Amino acid sequence: MKILVVEDDKSLRQIIRETLDAEGMVVETAPTYAKAMLKLEDYSYDCVLLDIMLPDGSGMDLLDYMKSIGKRENVIIISAKDSTDDKVLGLDKGADDYLAKPFHIAELVARVRSVVRRKDHGGEMAVTFGNIALRPDKSAVTVAGTPLDLNRKELDILAYFLTRPNHLVNKQTLAEAVWGDHIDQVDNFDFLYAQMKNLRKKMKDACADVEIRAVYGIGYKMTKI
Amino acid sequence: MKLVYRLALRTLLLLFPIMAVWGFFFYRAMIAEVVDETDDTLEDYSESIIRRALGGDRLPSISNGSNNQYYLTPISGEEAAAMPVISYKDSMTYIIEKGEKEPARIMRTVFVNDMGQHFMLTVATPIIDRQDLTRQIFYWVVMLYFVLLLTVVVVNMVIFYRSLKPLYVLLDWLDSYTVGKENAPLVNPTSVTEFQKLNDAAVKNALRHERYNEQQKVFIGNASHEVQTPVAICLNRVEMMMEDDSLPENIMQGLAELHTTLQHISRLNRSLLLLTRIDNGQFSDVANIDLCAMARRYADSFADIYSHRGITCEMRGEKQMHIMINPTMAEMLVSNLLKNAFVHSPDGATVIVTVTGMTMDFSNVAESGPLDGEKVFERFYQGSKREGSTGLGLAICSAICRAYGLGIAYFYNDGTHHFTVRG
Repeated sequence: MKILVVEDDKSLRQIIRETLDAEGMVVETAPTYAKAMLKLEDYSYDCVLLDIMLPDGSGMDLLDYMKSIGKRENVIIISAKDSTDDKVLGLDKGADDYLAKPFHIAELVARVRSVVRRKDHGGEMAVTFGNIALRPDKSAVTVAGTPLDLNRKELDILAYFLTRPNHLVNKQTLAEAVWGDHIDQVDNFDFLYAQMKNLRKKMKDACADVEIRAVYGIGYKMTKI
Repeated sequence: MKLVYRLALRTLLLLFPIMAVWGFFFYRAMIAEVVDETDDTLEDYSESIIRRALGGDRLPSISNGSNNQYYLTPISGEEAAAMPVISYKDSMTYIIEKGEKEPARIMRTVFVNDMGQHFMLTVATPIIDRQDLTRQIFYWVVMLYFVLLLTVVVVNMVIFYRSLKPLYVLLDWLDSYTVGKENAPLVNPTSVTEFQKLNDAAVKNALRHERYNEQQKVFIGNASHEVQTPVAICLNRVEMMMEDDSLPENIMQGLAELHTTLQHISRLNRSLLLLTRIDNGQFSDVANIDLCAMARRYADSFADIYSHRGITCEMRGEKQMHIMINPTMAEMLVSNLLKNAFVHSPDGATVIVTVTGMTMDFSNVAESGPLDGEKVFERFYQGSKREGSTGLGLAICSAICRAYGLGIAYFYNDGTHHFTVRG
């Protein structure tokens, strides 16, 4: 999978490159509008991560430019401009997803994979890890072909881990993803432990060859056994 | 109160006593003049009688066929000496011609003839006519008083409206002006220097406001970008380090704490920017939103999250409350108030949301006494400091209510905190 990262901040560019490299993706970077334009003219990519505020232009213009030269790459906008207007404008101009800074690196990986999967397979491909498979509409899970009976929250949690395998997901991030952003003041994650306990037990009982490990009480990581 | 009414009222209040005093003195002067005239007539009459009496001419008959009449009485020298030469008085006198007693003006004078005989002459004229006259004068003075008063006020108001028209045009323009939106140019031609200056000042100010608003928006965007990016880098670096399973637990815990703090900074920054954007009116698109349905949705979600503390939520009163508000802001408002109630409830308590008419009240059992009602909506005011809390939630609620013309109030009643939103 070949990715172009258009981001003016050197450190962030570096982090994104390291993260995606570790996922086995081929990463190229462009720090400016002009360099991004040259790369896009000459090569094609599976996914473009696009910052809106570039020193010599706007990422929005780059979207227009890509359309004008007939490029149909997947684009994920990464921007600190966390405003609804920007988001709507970007998606209108043909971007596939929008990621507001700051984002979790596990989130970035999941979004890139999801965008590419949607485009390449028309959204028809199930998300799999080990012998667990999640239906593309995220409605049901099977373990080695046998349906796993989960409640709504357990399904949401499992889906979240399946799209972020081998990444540490901390409790706060998981709670926000599954229960919503308004969870941010919660100082006690007992409600999460109960769900996790049930989910892990169900996975084990179904003989799944992956597990969700607790990491020092900080968070969880889904790994193969 | 409109300026024109205030001016009219003040003119009226001031002119009322002034013109009353003027009317009183005017009336007095007129009456004095009338009395003077009467006395002059009596004097002339008495003079003609005295001249006849002294000249030995035949005296006219007592009443002379007119309402005027006289009495000539011989008196002793002592009596004459005791009397003033001329005196006037008003009293009831028998008028022969009319055959009855009537109020009259009487003049009494003393004279002496060649033989040294003293006489007292009393001339009288009835004052019926004078009474009529004074009544007329009084009537007209009062009429003049009211007519003049009314005329002054009406003329004042007409002149005021005519001359201040440019001011009202300017005020209308200012009323319809919204910073950050398309605005019609100010069309207000006037030859009055003050109004020209006022127009120029208003337009200049509006432009300056527009520029500041623009600069602020740009600044907010940039600040957001400048701060969020380094924070994002720190967060991501920490996350990458935490991916390494070989790290010992104490380092991992340290990183986790660092991560939490960085997330707190990020959230704080986002909330502050949000607050500024709300105050700048950047969420101007509104829709008809049912706050009640929204509250029910969040209540379920919070009850789920706080079930381990045994906190429940109860919806009371009406089932709907529609207001015009930006949908994102409505969610922010309801979720913040509800979260606030849940977070500050003791274990096992019940959060109660009551909807009556156009008000929605969020109440929760207080863990300690009442909060400072003045400061509760200020930024960073916290009754009890909580880990992970930004201290901006209620400030954001207050800013949202301000932006959409809603009321928000805090009160403490019998051990419960109440936050009430009024549509």
